[in-house]
Amino acid sequence: MLKTLDLPALRQLLCAIAAEFELRVPVQPAPGMRLLAPWPVAEIALFGPPLQPKPTAAFFPQTQTLLTLGADASVELPSPPVRPLALFGLARADLQGIAFLDRFFSAPPADDVYQRLRRDALLIGLSGNCGTERKFLPLAGGHCDFELIAQGTGWWGRAHTPRGAHWLRELPAAEGADLTWLNEKSAQLIDEPQQLLARAAKLLVQERVPEEFWREIAARCILCCGCNQVCPTCNCFCVEDQLRGTNVERRRVWDSCQLDAFMREASGHNPLGTEALRTRRRIFHKLVADPQRWGEYGCVACGRCDAACPTGIGIFALCEQLVARYS
Amino acid sequence: MNPQEASIYAPRPATLLQVENLTPQEKLFRLRLDDGCELGQQPGQFVQVSLAGFTEAPISLASSPTRQGFFELGVRRAGRLTGALHQLLPGARIGVRGPFGRPFALEVLRGRQLLLLAGGCGLAPLRSLIQYCGDHPQDFPRVHILYGARSPADLMFQQELLDWRQIPGFSCRYTVDNRPATSCYNGETGLITRLLDEIVIDPQHSCAVIVGPPPMYRPVIAALRRQGLVGEKRIMLSLERQMRCGVGKCGHCTIEHLYCCKDGPIFWLEEIEQLRGAL
Repeated sequence: MLKTLDLPALRQLLCAIAAEFELRVPVQPAPGMRLLAPWPVAEIALFGPPLQPKPTAAFFPQTQTLLTLGADASVELPSPPVRPLALFGLARADLQGIAFLDRFFSAPPADDVYQRLRRDALLIGLSGNCGTERKFLPLAGGHCDFELIAQGTGWWGRAHTPRGAHWLRELPAAEGADLTWLNEKSAQLIDEPQQLLARAAKLLVQERVPEEFWREIAARCILCCGCNQVCPTCNCFCVEDQLRGTNVERRRVWDSCQLDAFMREASGHNPLGTEALRTRRRIFHKLVADPQRWGEYGCVACGRCDAACPTGIGIFALCEQLVARYS
Repeated sequence: MNPQEASIYAPRPATLLQVENLTPQEKLFRLRLDDGCELGQQPGQFVQVSLAGFTEAPISLASSPTRQGFFELGVRRAGRLTGALHQLLPGARIGVRGPFGRPFALEVLRGRQLLLLAGGCGLAPLRSLIQYCGDHPQDFPRVHILYGARSPADLMFQQELLDWRQIPGFSCRYTVDNRPATSCYNGETGLITRLLDEIVIDPQHSCAVIVGPPPMYRPVIAALRRQGLVGEKRIMLSLERQMRCGVGKCGHCTIEHLYCCKDGPIFWLEEIEQLRGAL
């Protein structure tokens, strides 16, 4: 059943959630950008561009302590958070990114470091007229505890888990609310990028993309690694040790498959020894290897890499060129 | 650490029992877990060796699980961690995670005539299988060991190369790419493929296992096919990749959709031959 709420009710709901969770909500620190900030905030940015940094960073941050090694060879694990996180304002693509990492990090052996932050976290989607200039964003449809669908001057609340229903239980029902049209509109929005990815993936599988294409794309790459840093499904990391007094803190740090050292082995052998190979790997991994391994693309069509890339070779720009040339 | 809070990234303490020089670049480390447990490895698996301040490195196990009370690692000095490891003396404590990875398919190899081919420090991981076969003579009645190194000084396990010839049903030949003029080495020279071409095998009842540097694979595979080793589950190989975590999370060892640390490092040739960058 759909519930309805206005801005005061939303603030009241968030206050109640903040009493139990470490709540983060979208804010707009500068025009054209939004990020998740700890509650309370002066003003919630209830519509605008995709959240940046990517929300998956809440559970898989850029640097994350794995453990601390004592001088006596003891091992100390990081403490779990005092209160679990609650993230509000997640778009459908954000939630799909989190679901992708959930599945990746829970594949045996489960990654306890990720799960320590993710376990018990509350996810709240935001859909409907909440994009840039209130552009319509597709309904989340799941992967969260509940979502708020922006329409008119308020929101419809839709629970996707029993926990989500618990938080919405005291809100009034949205009489006469009907999601049929919104679902249809969402399906259209979701389908278009999926079709492009599917066409590009097919060409890759059929080996119809020559090396020349990858060399050309690689020549445009400035190795800023922005595509990896903003991608909600990128999960590669390296490990480093940091001396802390007599202890050593071992932590993981996001890594980028665009860098020469990514796969270079101690012997000097490098299976990804050219920029062209690494560029192909970035796209092939998301569109062919991930579906083969996990049953779905490693791209949630959030558009972040296209927005971040200074030379126009984000995944959509690249797929458009690829499809136009080789279909 | 509270065992209830076990982490997949937490190393177990182990003590260095013995260190042996194998070559100027390689040492053999004998270790025992401090908790007294056996490591429980299968031939072909690896561990993540941890040194505080130097992070971790994947190192293949060089000893068979049939040798109880310790495990051994053959380590080439190639970076910061292995450089630090080479400085350690017996009694030192290090961290170990694992064993990890897919082992050699013993169930398939059992009863077959085996061609075990190693290049360079690839003999260390293959040694775990050689020892296992030697400890189960009824299961592995015919084993040919072929080993190639760059120079006489690079030959690892030199005494064992001779000892393996004494095991009933075993043969062992080794060769070096180059013999310096000043060397007193009087063994064979040339590439390992030359030794392979001289061996007579029954291709219908044989399997080959290759562990070596990446440039070795294609010519050795071609030589094995000339010997008639074609079809599925005939050629098994161990792939070298950078593995930062050992548990399929860090992403550095992917070969298209495969994770070398979980799906490998041991593969049947047909599983990876068509994957770009695998060989």
